[in-house]
Parts: sequence; C-alpha cells; structure tokens
Amino acid sequence: MRARTSVSPIVGALAMLSLAGQWAPVVAQDLQNSMVDIAYVEPNEPEYRPIYERLKKRQVLEELQQFLVPLRLPRKVLVQVEQCNKETQRYTEGGPVTICYQYIHELEKFAEKIPADTRTARGVSREDAVVGGFVQVVLNGMSQAVFDILEVPVWGREEDAADKLAGFLMLQFGTDSARRLLNGAAFFFEASDRTWTGSDFADTRGTEAQRFYNYLCVAYGGDPKAFKDFVESAGTGMRPGQPAERRIDLLPQRRAERCHTEYNDLQYAFNQTIMPFVDQAALQKVLARRDWLRSDDGK
Amino acid sequence: MIRCRVYSAVLALVMLGAPAAGNPASAQAAQSSAPIEIEYVPPAKQYLRPVYERLKQRKVLEQLRDFLSPLRLPVTLRIRTLQCDDTNAYWAGRVEGLKLCYEYVDWVERLAPAETTPEGFTPQDAIAGEFVEVTLHEMGHAVFDLFNVPIFGREEDAADQMAGFIMLQFGQDVALRTISGTAYTYQQQAKQSNWSRTTFADEHETDEQRFYNYLCLAYGAQPATFQRFVDSNILPAKRAANCGREYRQIQRAFLKTIMPHVDQEVMKKVQAMQMLRPDDGIIKRDYAQ
Repeated sequence: MRARTSVSPIVGALAMLSLAGQWAPVVAQDLQNSMVDIAYVEPNEPEYRPIYERLKKRQVLEELQQFLVPLRLPRKVLVQVEQCNKETQRYTEGGPVTICYQYIHELEKFAEKIPADTRTARGVSREDAVVGGFVQVVLNGMSQAVFDILEVPVWGREEDAADKLAGFLMLQFGTDSARRLLNGAAFFFEASDRTWTGSDFADTRGTEAQRFYNYLCVAYGGDPKAFKDFVESAGTGMRPGQPAERRIDLLPQRRAERCHTEYNDLQYAFNQTIMPFVDQAALQKVLARRDWLRSDDGK
Repeated sequence: MIRCRVYSAVLALVMLGAPAAGNPASAQAAQSSAPIEIEYVPPAKQYLRPVYERLKQRKVLEQLRDFLSPLRLPVTLRIRTLQCDDTNAYWAGRVEGLKLCYEYVDWVERLAPAETTPEGFTPQDAIAGEFVEVTLHEMGHAVFDLFNVPIFGREEDAADQMAGFIMLQFGQDVALRTISGTAYTYQQQAKQSNWSRTTFADEHETDEQRFYNYLCLAYGAQPATFQRFVDSNILPAKRAANCGREYRQIQRAFLKTIMPHVDQEVMKKVQAMQMLRPDDGIIKRDYAQ
C-alpha cells in the first residue's frame, strides 16, 4: 500500500465551481486574483448570443477567478468563453483555457432530453445537467492549465487526469452540490449516442462511457455513503428496487470495489503536487463560502 | 519435432536493460540498495515446462535484476516466473512481489504471427516485444507502489506509459522491436475483444486504445523511427500531432517522480550495456507434436 498523507481534501484550489454563485462583494474584495485573466468573447453567430449574454450576466468567469484565488500560480492564465470553429478547444501549453459556445449549446440540447421538472432514474434534473456539464468542461480545462503551469508530473492520460481532478474538486463542496455537479457531468457522457469504431479509439480522450464511469467512480470512491446509489446491485445492473424497465447504467460492482483506492490515489496526487501551491488562508475563505451553486442555476 | 521460432526471453531483459549475462563485473557494479530476489518456480503442468526451461536458460531474471539495479529500492523486491493457472502477470504487492506467469508467455508465443504482417510486425518481435511489455508494465505498478508515486490519471494507463517510456530509452532498434511487438499484440487482442457498454467501466483501456497509445508515445519520442506508422495511417495524423506533447508529459513525470530514486552512476553502467544482441528474440524452440 502506498503511504498516504491525510491532508484534507482541498479543493479549494479550484473552487472554480464558480459557475454559479451569488456574488458577495466582501468576498470579492477579500479574494483578489491577479493571475487569472478572463474574457467573454462576443460570438459571431446570433445563435450563440443568448449563451454569451447569460454567462456574462451570471458573472461565471468572475466567480471562477474567485475560486482560483487560493492557487498561487507563477504566471498568468487566460480563461475565456468564445465561439470556436469546433465544439471543444483543447488546452495547449501556455493556454488559454477556452470554453466554446458550441459546447455549451450542445450541452443544453442534451439537457433538454430530460423533460422539464423531472429527473432521470439517477436523479439528474435538466438544470443539473447544464450546470454539471458546464462546470465539468471548465474544471477539465483549468486542470490541464494547472498541470502545465505548475509543471505537475502527470502519469496516466492527461485528459483522464483532468477529469479526475475535476471530479475531485466537485466533491469538495458538500454533498448536495457534489451530487448536482457530478450527476450532471456524468449525464452529458451518459447521454451521448456516439458510437466508436476503428481509429476513433486513437482519440486522446476516453470514450464517453469510460468518462461516465470515471466520474461515478470518483464520486463513489470519495463518498461511498452518499453515492452508494451510483453502484449497481450485485449482478443485476440495476439500482436497488429499480423496476426492470427503468434499468440504468451504474457502476458495475467490479469497478466500484476499486473506487475508494482510486480516490485515495487521486487525493494523494493532489496533496503531493498541487497542495504546495495552495494558500491555506485563502482556501479557508473559499471553502467557507457555500453558495457557489444557486438553486436556480442551470435554468 | 517441429522447429519453431523462438523467443527471446531475453528480451525481457532487453528492456530490462540487463547487462549481458556472463559479465560479473558489470553485474556486481549494478547491485541495488535493497536486494532483488529472483526465482524460477518449476511448473506442475508439463506443457509449461519448455517455457520454464527457456526462461531459465536465457537467464531472463538475472538480467532483469541487473537492469533494475539502479533503483534505490526501499524493500526487498521479489520477482518470480511461475505457473499461475491464469494467463496473466501481476504486481502482487510488496510481499508477493512481481509474478510473471508461464501461461502468459505461452500465450504470447502462440499469438505471434507465422510470418511478418503487412504492417511489418515480425514473429520474433511479437514474442519478444510483448514479453518486454508485460514485464515492464507490471514493473511500472511495482515502482509506483514502492516509491509512492503520485498518479493523477488511471494507473493502468500509467503502467503502459512507464513500459513504453523505458522501451524508448535504449536506441532505435530496441524501440522499434519492442513497440512493434507490443502493438501487434494489442492489435490482435482488439480483433478478439467484444466491448459492450459496461465493459468500458474497466480500469484498463480497450486494446485499440492501448495499441494507439504505445504507437503515439513511440512516435512522440522518435518521430523518424516511427514515421512509417503515420505515413501508412496506422497512427492517424490527428493523434500523431499530439504525440510529442504526450511523450514530454511522460518524460517530465518520469524525471520528477522516478529519477530521484535512481542511482545515476549505476544507471550509466546499465545504459552502457548491450541490451539486445543480434540473436535475441530468436531462440530455437521445439514444440512437441
């Protein structure tokens, strides 16, 4: 067994979760972040204009800045939302972190598969799907930027590492927020109808199904009690008491058994490589704020 | 008796960078801080006996031990070849150590092509390369454990990256032979695999993904050596464009997390050793009818 330090999970680093969040002026003054630049780039396509307006009004990127305050970055990074020429724009060395309006548009379309005011069998609402999916893509991109800027040694595929760090951070903001975020993030991958064949597997990213299970595994590994409903009952592929016609994908037992170890490894990696760059006093301030997610986020 | 191709147990070493057998001076110089205990456990099943005999005769474990000698091990490392009643290989923890199963070696030999494939994968490399791969992959798990290495991604992928990275540190010939053999094995396994949705929950990636990952790491490290895989579209151009970055990622991880546990002087001696001999990978083998 590997030796582990029992540092508390900190997420703070990223509180980036900031997707939502009421803006508290006091916190804003307290937590100045000069190393994260942000930009809302106006889209050319009118179709994306409403998304641009909503993100700007919600001050999503300003919140992200606040969340990142505890992280002592040695150089600046730009985080922007903009219209790309494809759905996603992969982070490359030096940045910026770019979130594409196209991706958010796609996310919202997927979320509409969930009828308004209902939840999926796993408990995902349309709003959760939007919020969780958005936070996932932001945290994934920021994680890659952090790996780059802090020169973090990353074993394993970088995209998987970024997903795992994103999931780890989502877990640090209390059970309710974590459930909304992780469930929502997983939904986006679960709902994908992409079929992989041949050279599709040369992709730098894992398949949607692999990423879906990875997020569930981080959640279950980090808090087995709160997320026990993410695991199928032995041999059935169903959650306890679930009617057969409502069968849903859950973590198979075989993978679930390993999730706690996987989570410990993840926490250990975070504590060893990123925590040394986290300002503990600022972190406490970020963690003290529990309203990063609002009930109406994602509507 | 049919004379067949062979196998290079040695190869194992190859990668393992083992010093040439019969060189007591270099072997002695390469002693690690904590001992490495090796053992060839005789198999009970007769069909595995030839595999056992070949590995032993080829002194695979002796070479592996020497190859690993630059590592400053915190505890005794136990390495065994044995009958497992399973076609596999394992890092079984600090007490049980590394287990290389005769069944896996036997399977690799049988999976090898009868002749060179259109992609250029040779029978000898298929056998030798995969033996090296599985040994290095499990050694990857071992060093992650022994040195408390932080792993952000998925550990199974990390162990593949460790194996691939090491294969690429011993020159063009070793790189090409071991990576090609590894790629062949995953290519063949992919043809036999049938992944359903829930099997994507496995902690390993699919055989297709592992095939591309190895080729990508190799192309990222030695573009000229592996250019033909890109030219022939075996490694798609879109992925190839990212391979330099992927290799640098692993190089950085290795330098930061493994290199501090390496005795630099001993490593230089190991690196100076001949890793592959011209006849490595070609051991005569007799199959009983």
